[in-house]
Amino acid sequence: MRRIMTAALLSAVLAAAPAAAQDAKTTKIVDKPLELTIHMHFRDKYVWNDEWPVAKELTRLTGIKLKNVASKATTLSREAFNLQMASGNLPDIIAGNELRHDFVRYGMEGAFQPLNKLIDQHAPNLKRFLAENQEVRKAITAPDGNIYWVPYVPDGKFARGWFIRYDWLEKLGLKPPQNVDELYTVLKAFRERDPNGNGQKDEVPLFFREPDSELQRLVVLWDGRSSGSDAAHDFYIDNGKVKHPYTGDNYRIGMRNIAKWYAEGLIDKEVYTRRARAREALLGANQGGMTYDWFASTAGYNTSLKDKVPDLKFLAIEPPASPTGKRINENRRARLRPDGWAITVANKSPVETIKLFDFYFTPQGRLLANFGVEGQHYDMVDGKPRYKPEILNAKAPVNAQMWDIGAQIPVGFWQDYEYERQWTNEDALKGIALYEKGNYLIDEFLGVSMTVDERQVFDRHMPNIQTYMIEQMQAWVLGSRDIDKDWESYNAQLKKLGLDQVLAVMQKAYDRQYR
Amino acid sequence: MADAALDRESGGGSVRIMDGVIATPELATPPAFSATGPGYDFRKAVRTLLSDMRRDWQLYVLLAPMIIWFVVFLYTPMYGLQIAFKQYSLFRGIDGSPWIGFDNFVALFSNEYFLRAVKNTLLISLYSLVFAFPVPIILALMFNEIHHQGFRRIAQTITYLPHFISAVIIAGLVVNFLSPTTGIVNIILDRLGFEKIYFLTIPEYFRPIFIGSNIWKEAGFDSIVYLAAIAGINPALYESARMDGASRLQMIRYITLPSLLPVIMIMLIIRVGQLIEVNFEYIILLYQPATFETADVISTFIYRAGLQNNQYALGTAADLFNAVVALVLVVGANWLSRRYSQHSVW
Repeated sequence: MRRIMTAALLSAVLAAAPAAAQDAKTTKIVDKPLELTIHMHFRDKYVWNDEWPVAKELTRLTGIKLKNVASKATTLSREAFNLQMASGNLPDIIAGNELRHDFVRYGMEGAFQPLNKLIDQHAPNLKRFLAENQEVRKAITAPDGNIYWVPYVPDGKFARGWFIRYDWLEKLGLKPPQNVDELYTVLKAFRERDPNGNGQKDEVPLFFREPDSELQRLVVLWDGRSSGSDAAHDFYIDNGKVKHPYTGDNYRIGMRNIAKWYAEGLIDKEVYTRRARAREALLGANQGGMTYDWFASTAGYNTSLKDKVPDLKFLAIEPPASPTGKRINENRRARLRPDGWAITVANKSPVETIKLFDFYFTPQGRLLANFGVEGQHYDMVDGKPRYKPEILNAKAPVNAQMWDIGAQIPVGFWQDYEYERQWTNEDALKGIALYEKGNYLIDEFLGVSMTVDERQVFDRHMPNIQTYMIEQMQAWVLGSRDIDKDWESYNAQLKKLGLDQVLAVMQKAYDRQYR
Repeated sequence: MADAALDRESGGGSVRIMDGVIATPELATPPAFSATGPGYDFRKAVRTLLSDMRRDWQLYVLLAPMIIWFVVFLYTPMYGLQIAFKQYSLFRGIDGSPWIGFDNFVALFSNEYFLRAVKNTLLISLYSLVFAFPVPIILALMFNEIHHQGFRRIAQTITYLPHFISAVIIAGLVVNFLSPTTGIVNIILDRLGFEKIYFLTIPEYFRPIFIGSNIWKEAGFDSIVYLAAIAGINPALYESARMDGASRLQMIRYITLPSLLPVIMIMLIIRVGQLIEVNFEYIILLYQPATFETADVISTFIYRAGLQNNQYALGTAADLFNAVVALVLVVGANWLSRRYSQHSVW
């Protein structure tokens, strides 16, 4: 009896042990426990917490403990970072979101250590990643040729897509629009033929939650561009040339048509003030017909509004083709976030630190950074990570749960889209598959790092140029001004405000970084 | 006047508390600092001050926290104002950043959008002064004429409640009221046979909307100061006026308003000092690129041009400009007030 017990115990221990005991041995970076300080205040409300399950596991596996020095007193991450830099008392590591340009600027001023050699000699996984993703390596390289930070690299392709009320199409006997002319017909029918059947002309054919970026993205339907990246109003690259989307004939044609659609009531009359609540409000009131928005959250309304709008079938359709026959999905998941971490000059253990950064790029570290702790948050099923049911079925969204345990946070790591796929609903996945099949993804502008002089030129002119551009844009859409009458003066004013100088420094920075 | 108010029984509880506020401007000037006459002897003044301090040390102890607060939070940071003349880097610090003279100011004043923002700031403030400043005074006079205590308290509470609502919610209410499809204002316009108007995207409407909603939000609360001052007026004045057969309007005209004048002047001077500050948060919530033409003020300009790109030096330069203008305005208003109404803050 006793022998059986012992054997059973022993086998249980053996079964459980390998995963834990073995990997800790191979992943240890230091023999003696090492504690490093980290300043990480992110998304305006989180700070690094060494009690996070992921942080504890990281310490167990590598032997390095990160101790947070960021104050929880502030609710502005930007402010926390500024205070830390201005205090003159640097921690070993600085991490957080929206720090890309700070890493580069203060790196060149001497606040952060150049990582090129360190990566070369001590970070084989990170090195391989950067070699395989040259664009990312170029994008994080500073004007002086050094790399000062390790970025958060998102995964997955499509972010936003076109969604339409399929039930309305069916009711009116229409087919999903394949090009911009058909789209116009459909929207017109939504407006005129009372698809919600309440006898009132209260339908809002096209609506947008984020008019600043999504409304003018309609110009893509006429071969224009609205942004080169996932930020609004960004530059884009056309055959190696840096261009601004709000110039050129296609933009003009696009804006002219948007203004026409707005005047005809095809676009939400209140698009500029409804904003964040537009999607929920208009779908919930059974008034909204079509939008361009995130796959997962938009498809989610089919279930969450089931009781309120029983017929609701809000599904993805392929991007309608432009008059020249091009189908483009301009928006995509960023390939690079301006988030990550860097080693300061105060750090006395740069080798150990870069090895720690490297760990997040090993398969095991990547699992930890994406899914949390094995056995606690996910299990390996057929060699693939699978979230535990209690995580998938919890009330809070999975990403919020991950933030609370220290996974999916803006440190330098490589995201795995699988993490999101597992809790994305069926309708959204079908939509994404549709876009995958059509291969509608286009190249993205990853941004440039400027020298001090270049940035000065940019900062002097660009805020005014952008102010003027979006001011005009709204005036055209709302019909208080006419784009065709304004076009010459518009271009003259852009010139006067220094657009050419801005494009010149952008081009210089772009050529240095990506050629 | 204010002392009399402290001594006497007066209306509601809130009014009695506010008596202290009225008293402050006059009490805040210690006698030692007022000796600025022609035969000013500095050493004698210091001696007087020291002997005063020995004698009234308890008072000075009470004053100390406020002085420390001023020094720590308002005077020490002035050291940082120098970054307006520097190419500021957070890492290099205030002392380590190189001087660049007036470059930041040149950049600001050669910028047509900054000049537009200055113009808009001044216009919004000026209109506020003209239209919003008298409202709490009128409101206070009206409350004072209500003799039913219960009704008066309820009315007063209702008018100052909006003060405690956050700007975000007020902006949300405004957006809803003015909505072109479901907003009450447009529904009324529609019923009356007018065209519906998308108010928040039309530059001409921005200032009236901004100032109007601000009046609604603040007038009630601002009237408390005046109500407190009214409570401090000697009732004997009214009694004798009534004996002489004065009407209510005449009593307002000849007793209440003249007695309120010192408070009005002080409030006006304070308000003039804030002429160049506009409620940034509220503007950000209400404006659109379409209304930048009238809505873009200095602070929102700086927010877009400076802080979003971390141009702290530029932001500081604009702030410094703000402060200088505000100082000129306050000193000017104080001088005018002393000259023409014999009432002034100092």
